[in-house]
Amino acid sequence: MVDRLFAGVLLLVAIGYTYIAFTAIKAPFQYDPLGPESWPQLLGIAAILCAGYLVAKPDVARFGLALPTWARLAVLVVLLFGYAYLFQPAGFILATFAFCTLLSVMLGSRILPALAFGASTGVVGFFLCTRILELNLPAGVFAAYL
Amino acid sequence: MDAILTGLGQGFATALDPLNLFLVLAGCFAGTLIGALPGIGPINGVAILLPIAYGFGLPPESAIILLAGIYYGAEYGGRISSILLNVPGDAGAVMTTLDGNPMAKRGEAGRALSLSAIASFIGGTFAVVLMSMFGPALASYAVTFSPSDYVALMVFAFASLASLVGSNPVKTLFGAVIGLMLASIGIDANTGVERYTFGIPDILAGIDFLVVVIGLFGMAELITLVEHQATGTLKALKIDKSFVTMGDLARTKWTILRSSMIGFFIGILPGTGASVASAVAYGTEKRVAKDSHTFGTGDVRGLAAPEAANNAAAGGAMVPMLTLGIPGSGTTAILLGALLLFNVQPGPLMFQTRPEIAWGLIASMYIGNVALLIINLPLVGLFARMLTIPQQFLTPMIGVLAFIGVYSVVSNPHDLYMITALGVFGWIMRKLDFSLAPVILGFVLGSLFEDNLRRALSISGGDWSILLNSWNSVVLYLLAAVVVILPILAARRSKRRALLAEGDTPVIRP
Repeated sequence: MVDRLFAGVLLLVAIGYTYIAFTAIKAPFQYDPLGPESWPQLLGIAAILCAGYLVAKPDVARFGLALPTWARLAVLVVLLFGYAYLFQPAGFILATFAFCTLLSVMLGSRILPALAFGASTGVVGFFLCTRILELNLPAGVFAAYL
Repeated sequence: MDAILTGLGQGFATALDPLNLFLVLAGCFAGTLIGALPGIGPINGVAILLPIAYGFGLPPESAIILLAGIYYGAEYGGRISSILLNVPGDAGAVMTTLDGNPMAKRGEAGRALSLSAIASFIGGTFAVVLMSMFGPALASYAVTFSPSDYVALMVFAFASLASLVGSNPVKTLFGAVIGLMLASIGIDANTGVERYTFGIPDILAGIDFLVVVIGLFGMAELITLVEHQATGTLKALKIDKSFVTMGDLARTKWTILRSSMIGFFIGILPGTGASVASAVAYGTEKRVAKDSHTFGTGDVRGLAAPEAANNAAAGGAMVPMLTLGIPGSGTTAILLGALLLFNVQPGPLMFQTRPEIAWGLIASMYIGNVALLIINLPLVGLFARMLTIPQQFLTPMIGVLAFIGVYSVVSNPHDLYMITALGVFGWIMRKLDFSLAPVILGFVLGSLFEDNLRRALSISGGDWSILLNSWNSVVLYLLAAVVVILPILAARRSKRRALLAEGDTPVIRP
């Protein structure tokens, strides 16, 4: 069923993609026999055929995950979006500290080791990357001190 | 022959440059570490470290040497978690668990690890030697390819992908089409028309390759690890003092040679990498052996075969990437994308225009293989210690590395959301038995495929029959038909035989 659902969503996307390819994409003038629209048209039709086949003949019935697993995955995705949200304004050190600590606690670590792990990943990671490897990372709230 | 020797000479001059030599060794070391981590295979390792390597600002040949080192280092390292934990790092290492883990359980972990290191070394070296002999010849032949031949080559690549990778050919094909569709987003280079940008300025130049790779491989891997959450430490078997004997080598020498050969040629086939190669090699050895009942209970041949094959396949997969510009596996697709990031277009001309990259890479693979053998025999205990890092600390690190990688190269916070969303998408695809390698292959090949099709039709003035106009393309279409039809026939035959025998035949699923 999930297979059919996923393929159904992709089928809608593929139909939209193909519709745009046939209606919206047009070059104002061109010399070549194939314009910018032909390739997406071919791809769109191939995608519709594949997705249509999968809607008709799905082979994975269900995800087979228990409810706690779903909850864990939901928390993970929230954490990741939170990490992405905080990354620039709060800076690498703080955002990484929060992300690592929370995720490792969720994965079963005790609080103190998790705090130590989060803090060391944030601080060591920042200096390792910016000072030694010369990669660009946001300093965020510590910008004035670093 | 002369050209090969001068090429190799030049390659070694590049690879022995102190910086590059250091990068080979560092890449091999890091790759083995990553490969040894349970659940993380070469493709995820290369994907996660790619943007960081890119961010260093290295010249292209050094960056590709580093990434290639990580790639085959991870192929070596994968066997450690397979043998000691019974947890394969990726699909290519699954067959290694069958006989490797029983050996370790029997108290012969040291013997299994050292034998597999030697098998890996022979497989890898065999592939590099063949590559340096035939790569340039293939490249100079491929120079004569016309755009329509390239279209045929691409069709062949996707046909062999669909029929050999994954369980459901439609899903594999669909994955490749999704990759091609993602690649079509952005401004069309020929006419300047915007396609599927919906007025968003960030994607005018197309979706960033790094973002797709990190999202589909790094982040999806992170989500999978959390899904299978292993709390605490996995129980790794102890490494003992046993070591490979001359008798083992004598017993497995033909196995290793056969498997290297199989691995190399399967690796060359576009799209099929280590996973198919190791499964086929294992199956072949089992069929060839007179006493096949010992396979699966810790037979040295069952261990040597997949290990030789998957390292040979890693080398073989480099051949079409370097000579034709068409990657032979998901991981080489990422390497190819990495070269494109440096504005280097891999293809038949690379041996002439950028010999320092083509030959430098080949030479670095010779060095890397020797280095891997040396660091893997005595240091295996160190790598095995990686297995005891608690999972709850390892898993967040993947997320942190992915974020560092994307941010340090693109410096656009929106891409952090993008990789997370792509990670969820990739995880769903994995759960539904889509393999992700075709997506990245399609994404990398998208513009090459389209450009060649349009160029071919420009040459013919819109006449589609040009696609069948040369012998090269006709042969390639025939080969494409063969790779699609053969497995179907074989499946039908084995099904009929299974019905006759009324027993369950073992099915090897790559």
